[in-house]
Order: sequence, then C-alpha cells, then structure tokens
Amino acid sequence: MLRLLIIKEIRDIVGSTKFAVTFGVCSLLVLLVFIVGARAYHTAVGQHDAAKRENLRRMEGITDWMQVHDMNVYMPPQPLSALVAGVAHDIGRTVTVEGRGELTAHDSRYSDEPMLAVFRQFDLEFLFTVVLSLFAILFAFDAVSGEKERGTLRLTFASPVPRRTFIAGKLLGAYLTLVVSLLLPIAAGSALLIVMGVPMTGDDWVRLTLIIAAGFLYLGVFLSLSVLVSAMTTRSTTSFLVLLVVWIVAVLIVPRAAVLFAGRAVDVPSVDAVAAQKAKFSAGLWGDDRSAMAAFKPSKSGDMQAVMQEFQQMMQKLADDRDRKMREFASRVNEERRNRQDVQEAVAFGLARITPAACFTLAATRLAGTSFEMKQHFLAATERYQKAFGEFMVAKTGMNPGGRMVVLRVVVGDEKKPEPINTAEIPAFSYAPMQVADVAGGTALDILLLLAVNLFFIVGAVAAFLRYDVR
Amino acid sequence: MFTTVVMKELKGILLSQKFALTFGVVSVLILMSIVAGISEFTAGARQYDTAVQLAEQQLREASNWMAISARALRPPDPLVVFVSGVHNDIGRLSSINGHEAVKLLNSVYADDPIFAVFRSLDLMFIVQVVLSLFAILFTYDAITGERESGTLQLSLANPLPRRTFILAKATGIWAGLLLSLSVPMILGLLVVSLAGVPLSDSDWMRIGALFVGSLLYFTVWVAGGIAVSTWTRTPSASFMACLVLWIATVLILPRVGVLAAEQLVGVPTVAEVDAQKDGFEKAAWEKQMAGLSERWKKREEAMQGFSKEQREAYRDAHMWQWMQEEDAGRKAVQTEIDAYGLRLQEDLRNKRSAQERLAFTLARTSPAAIYQLASMQIARTSVTLKNATETSMEEYRSQFTAHVEKKQQESGGTGGFKITVDSEKGFSFSSPRERGTLDISDLPRYQWNPTPVGQLLADAGWDGLLLAVFALASLALAVIGFHRYDVR
Repeated sequence: MLRLLIIKEIRDIVGSTKFAVTFGVCSLLVLLVFIVGARAYHTAVGQHDAAKRENLRRMEGITDWMQVHDMNVYMPPQPLSALVAGVAHDIGRTVTVEGRGELTAHDSRYSDEPMLAVFRQFDLEFLFTVVLSLFAILFAFDAVSGEKERGTLRLTFASPVPRRTFIAGKLLGAYLTLVVSLLLPIAAGSALLIVMGVPMTGDDWVRLTLIIAAGFLYLGVFLSLSVLVSAMTTRSTTSFLVLLVVWIVAVLIVPRAAVLFAGRAVDVPSVDAVAAQKAKFSAGLWGDDRSAMAAFKPSKSGDMQAVMQEFQQMMQKLADDRDRKMREFASRVNEERRNRQDVQEAVAFGLARITPAACFTLAATRLAGTSFEMKQHFLAATERYQKAFGEFMVAKTGMNPGGRMVVLRVVVGDEKKPEPINTAEIPAFSYAPMQVADVAGGTALDILLLLAVNLFFIVGAVAAFLRYDVR
Repeated sequence: MFTTVVMKELKGILLSQKFALTFGVVSVLILMSIVAGISEFTAGARQYDTAVQLAEQQLREASNWMAISARALRPPDPLVVFVSGVHNDIGRLSSINGHEAVKLLNSVYADDPIFAVFRSLDLMFIVQVVLSLFAILFTYDAITGERESGTLQLSLANPLPRRTFILAKATGIWAGLLLSLSVPMILGLLVVSLAGVPLSDSDWMRIGALFVGSLLYFTVWVAGGIAVSTWTRTPSASFMACLVLWIATVLILPRVGVLAAEQLVGVPTVAEVDAQKDGFEKAAWEKQMAGLSERWKKREEAMQGFSKEQREAYRDAHMWQWMQEEDAGRKAVQTEIDAYGLRLQEDLRNKRSAQERLAFTLARTSPAAIYQLASMQIARTSVTLKNATETSMEEYRSQFTAHVEKKQQESGGTGGFKITVDSEKGFSFSSPRERGTLDISDLPRYQWNPTPVGQLLADAGWDGLLLAVFALASLALAVIGFHRYDVR
C-alpha cells in the first residue's frame, strides 16, 4: 500500500506543469551556480598567479638581499570557496609579511571590485537557502489541503488506507522526487567542474558531498514543514501564506536579527581602538631604543665592516627585544578582543541556530572553509610563513627585516658588480585549506540539528494528519 | 463604473485574510529593517567618531615632520539606514603620508567577518526581494482567478469596456497595496527621526526620492503580475509564470550582466597593480642609490691628493650643498614614484569604470537591478563611492604633503636617524629632533565632501524614468492581453 501511495505521489508531482517548470528552473539555476563557480575559480586563480608573479618581479634586478624588506603572500583560491563563497570575498586576500611585526590582511575581493559586491555572488549556499527552499515549499504546500480541495482525499479514504500510511507516502514521495530531481542537475554540475578543469581533490569531493547532503536535509525541513502546515490548514492558499511567512522569518529575518542582537549586546572594542593602543605602545618602545642606539660605542674602531656588523647585531638584538615586547602586548590586546569576539559569535550563532537556514549556512560555509573563521585560519598560516621568511632572511643577511626600517648602504670605493639575487630562493607560502577531519566536528552539531528538526516536523505532520478532517 | 470596480478591488484586498497576514509580515519586516539600519548607522557613526579622535591624538603625539602620518576617514552616510550598498565592503580609512599612496583599508566586513555571514537586511532588500514577491502574490490571479471562480463573465455581462475594467482593477490593487505599505513606511520614518539620526533637509529630499523609487519599482511588479495574469488561463499557471519571471528578474539577470562584463573587460587586481608600483619604486630607488654611490665616489676623487686638514675643510665647505643635492634627488625620485603610482591607479580606475558601466548597463534589463542601482546612488553607497573617496583623499594627501614639506623646511633637519661609519671618523649615530611635539594647528584635516544631492538625484532620475517605462509597458501588455482574453 505504501509503495502504491509513494508511486502515486511521485506521479502526481512529476506529471504536473508545476513540476516541469520548477524542475526546469532549478536545473538551470544549479547548472548556473556550478558554471559561475568554475568561472569564479579560474578568475581567482588568474588574479592570484598574476599577483604572485608581479610580486617576484618587483624584486628582480636587486643585487642585495638587504634590499628585500617584505614579501607579499596571497590567499590561494580554493575550488570549494568558489561554490560556497561564505566570507571569502569579504576578508583580505593579501598579507605583506616582514620578518617581524603583526600581520594584517588587506585587499578583499569586494573592496577591490565593489561591482561584484553590488549583487554578490550567486553561489550554492544562496541557491539552497533562498531559492530551493522556496521551491521545496511550492512542492508540498498543498500536499494535504490541496487534495482536500480537489476532493481526492475523500475518495482515497473510501478505500481501506490507514492514515499513517497515507501521510508517510506523501512525505516519502515528496522527499524522493525532490532529491532525485535535484541530484540530476547537481551531478551534471559536478561533471561540469571536471570538464571546466577545476582541480578538485578527493577531500574536496567529500566536502562538496557533505554540503549537498546538508542542503538536502535543509530542504527536507521545509518539505516536512510544508506537509505539516498543509495538514493543519483546510485551504491550500492559507497553507501557502503561512509557509511564506515562516519562510521569510526563518530565512531572511532570524539569522540577521541574531547577529544584530549579538552586535549590540556584546561590546567588542573597535579595530581602530586596538590599533591606536598598539601604535602608542610601539612608539614608546621606539623611543627607548633610539636612545640605546645613540649610546652605541663600537668596541674597536677602524675596521668598518666589523663596526657595521657589530652595530647590526645590536640593532638586531634591540629589534628582537622590541618585537618580543610588542608581540606580548599585541597578543594581550588581541586576545582581549578575540575573547569578546568569541562571546559575540557564540551569542550570534547560538541564537541564529533557531532557524535551520542558519544551521545550513554555518555548516556549508564551514565545510567549504569559508566560514567566519576563515580570516583567522589564513592569518595563522601567514604567521607560520612569517617565521620561515624571517629565518630565511637571517640566514641570507644576518638580519631579520621588519619594523619599517630602511637600510641604505652606500659603498664608496671600488667593488665588483654584485650578482642579482635569485628570487626563487625565497620560501614559498603554502595555505592548507580545511580538511574534512578539521571541520567535521564543527558541522556535526548543525547537521544533527537539521536532522532533529526534520524528524520533529515529520512526526508533527503525521500527528496532525491523524486528526485531520478529510471532508 | 471605473470607481465602482476600483472600490470593489480595494475592498476585496483590504478584507482578505491574505492581506491581513502579509500586511503584518511586511510591517514587521520594514520596521525591523529600519531599526536594524539605525543600529548599524549609530554603531558606524560611533566608530567613526572614535577613529577620528584617535587619529587626531596620533597627530598630536607625532614628534617630527618627516615621519608624520595622518588618517583620512570616510564617515557613514545617514542613508545607510535604508540602503547599505557597498558601504560595508569598501575600506573606511586610508593612511595619508608622503611615502604611501592612498588606499582604503579596514572595511567593516573584513574587520568583523561575523557581520558578513548573513549580510545586512536593509529596506532596499526588503522592497527589492520581499515586496516584489508580495506584489506577485496579490496580482497573479487578478484575471485567471476571476475567470476560474466565474465572476469575470458576470462582471463583463455589464456594459463595462474591457479597458476600463482592467485599468480599474490595476488601480484598485495598486492603491490597496500602496496604502497599506505607506503605514509601516511612515512609522519607520517616524522611528528614524525620533532615534536621533542626524538628517539634514537634503537627506530628507533623498529619502523622498528613495520612496518614489520604491513606489515605482513596486508598481512595475503590480503591473507585471496583472500582465502575466492576462496572458495565462489558470491561476496556477500564472503563479508559476510569475515566479519564473521573478527569479529571472531579481536573482539572475542582474548577475548575468556582471558576469558578462567580467568576461569582456579585463581589469588587473589591486594586488597586481600594487606589486607593479612597488617594483617601479624599488627600481627607482636602486637607480638613485647607484647614482648616490657614483656621486660620492666623484666627490672623494675631487679630494684626491688633499691633506687630512684640507679634506676636512673641503668637506665642511661642501657638505651642505651635497646634502641639498641628495635631498633634491630623493624628492625627485619620490615625485616620479608618486606620478607613476597615480598613473597606474588612474589606468586601473578607468578600466574598472568601463567594466562597471558595461555590467550595469546589461543589468538594467532587470527592474530589480535598476531599482537597486538607483537606490545605492541616492544613498551614496554605490560603487562610485570608492573612487570618489579615494580621489578626495588623494587631493587631501597632496595638501597634506605640501604642508608637511613646508614645515619640514622651516624646522630643518631630517627625521629618523642617521648612522655614519667613516674609516677616519669612526662610528656616529644621530637622531635629530627627537622629542617635543609639533605645531599641528594649521595642518589641513581631511574633510569628507559628498557628491551634491542635485547630481545624485539627476543620475537616479534616469533610472526612475526607466522604471516608469517598465511599469507602463507592463500595463500596456496587461491591457492588450485582456483585450484578447477569452473570459469564458
């Protein structure tokens, strides 16, 4: 009986013009998302390579490693961040690394090209949260109330069909049709990724699969909710209106309201205040060191090379000291801000998780490595690079560049023309994207929440239908 | 007759359950967006005020003219309450000094990505996405619904011209929805004026323009929904057609324009341009350094054969001149670098503007894009904000550096410190003009000068006209469609 009902339900849905139109539109949109993603990836790679090339070229012709003060590192584009943009376009992509000092990321994609910020990127996450969820409602808003209006509900129950079987058939039929009809364009889109030459690793595929699975769970929430609402209302227009209101509140309002509330409720010191604190501290340190430098007396005068070396050693020691103090101070100030931010994030996302839309967004962006934590992840990688770069520079010049110091060495006298430096020797920056293992723990909660809400609504739908007046 | 139908429609809408529900939701949404906008604006304004104070304090603490650096900050426009646009995406501030080019840094979203996760919910978004959806909801079955329930035949059994009927229907629905929209909007404005958002008369004028734009956009959707209804047979078919139209107009078309423009007009990234600039800078300094070595060698050669005392005397006599020469050389290099940087920047801006123009021209095939672009223009949060800010900061930078230059000459000496290692004199370290504050009272401060309202409104006026054309075309389509409609 259940099988029969499921098949009937699928036939009902698939045979309608509504399905033909939504299926067509959905397929088009899904394919569009994958094409846009693949194109965005290639554009980003092009930009990234050009920047990297130009960065090395600027050092060509330099004959002295002392002239190398800094190195720009750029966030390498990830295939998944092109599909689920998250905050990838909002945070800085470039970090200027000196041997020491605090690192900041600048040049976000949207600040570089505000044109893209006007309409934002059309990505997988937006497609699922906003567009497909609306379609899920369209699929099932009249599941029960529509049949009642048409009178077919009474006919069905003229035969010996248990109500539970009927509603289970409705739910399963709707789920199956939705999943199967979406899997088709998604599979085609994934194939397009390969065709368009996006280098997806095995890990990327696993994460993409998880994102899509989370997406289906999210759509399932709206599907089961639609069946539930349709089993609580007598007219299909009423159920549609109720669902639309719920959709607007869940998708558009609650997530933003939660962040807004957290922004007001938890006070985080502004970036400017923190920067000013640091600048003041740094200026104080510099003042102390200047007098130390002025007091420098070479142990033996005469040999210029030796004096210069001695002075540089002292400078190095001062700079290291200054660096250490600055680091301590900065890390204290940063940590204070970080802690406040953590509280703010916990409040914002804890509240936002009331709605499945936020659960899905958080899970998808975390899986794609483009969640709000992306900035810290990138900065941590550049900090590791800073160490490697500093050590390299010390090995090359005996000095760790940094702290806005320019060493101009004027050599008076004959010397043979020095060779240009080989820029290929500079250590390369590597950015390890999040792996499944790193993000699985963080997303488990969201996925479980989505599952729980699904179950809740399914049970609710069954319970509501058991009491439904089919006349 | 016309008024009878209008009244009938008005009653039909105002008394429906659908209306009560949507009215409630829309009111809550509009009010919430305005409250959120106010909270965002006040937070931004507070941040701006503290940042200005901090920058001023840093200027006051500067101890020499060589190393002085100011900060230029971009204040939030009060209209971000209604339209955030790209305000949160582009940088808030730039360092202003002699050795760095102007560059906007620290955008709100880059500083605190938490706010970027769900973005902001502004009135423009509500009107663009939600209200358009509601407009469809109230119009998709205007004709098909009446046909199905049979009332269409009854109505037209009266001596009622079709044109009058359809126009009256459109007017009725439009008036009903608009009346109900104006209630939360006016309430929202009341909240804005009570919340202490500093609005000048010209700001109110812009808000007025914003509302006219929203009204026009809403009208396009009302007319569009009715037009679709006159070209389809059943309500479900018209609903599907409307939905497809909505998705294409609101979600797809605007982005297609941007995608196409990206494809057609290549623009280098800022990182690339910066690296180019840096490369030029390095090369220029390298050349200068080589010249410096050369010149010192010549100066040494001129002293060939002098005794130690003669050397000293010669040096003392010429040192000032040499320093002047070197200083002039250094300045020439810096000017050259600045000019090159500005040229690159100019080139980048031109390319980018060309790309933007193409993208937005293509996007304007969609009323949603027209509405959005016009609103951003009116609220001064459009893409031109970045260029406008950077240009005005560049002007400020030249004023600032000129002033600092003058002061530097007056005070004499250089900043930083100088280390001399001489085979004869040995080691010496000097750091002139260390402590002590500077007189910064007549140092120019950055003044944000926004685009004049007249120009903004003139630009947005064209978009308004375009929206009106869309609305009239949809209405014409509805009239034509209904003339040929089989009412049975």
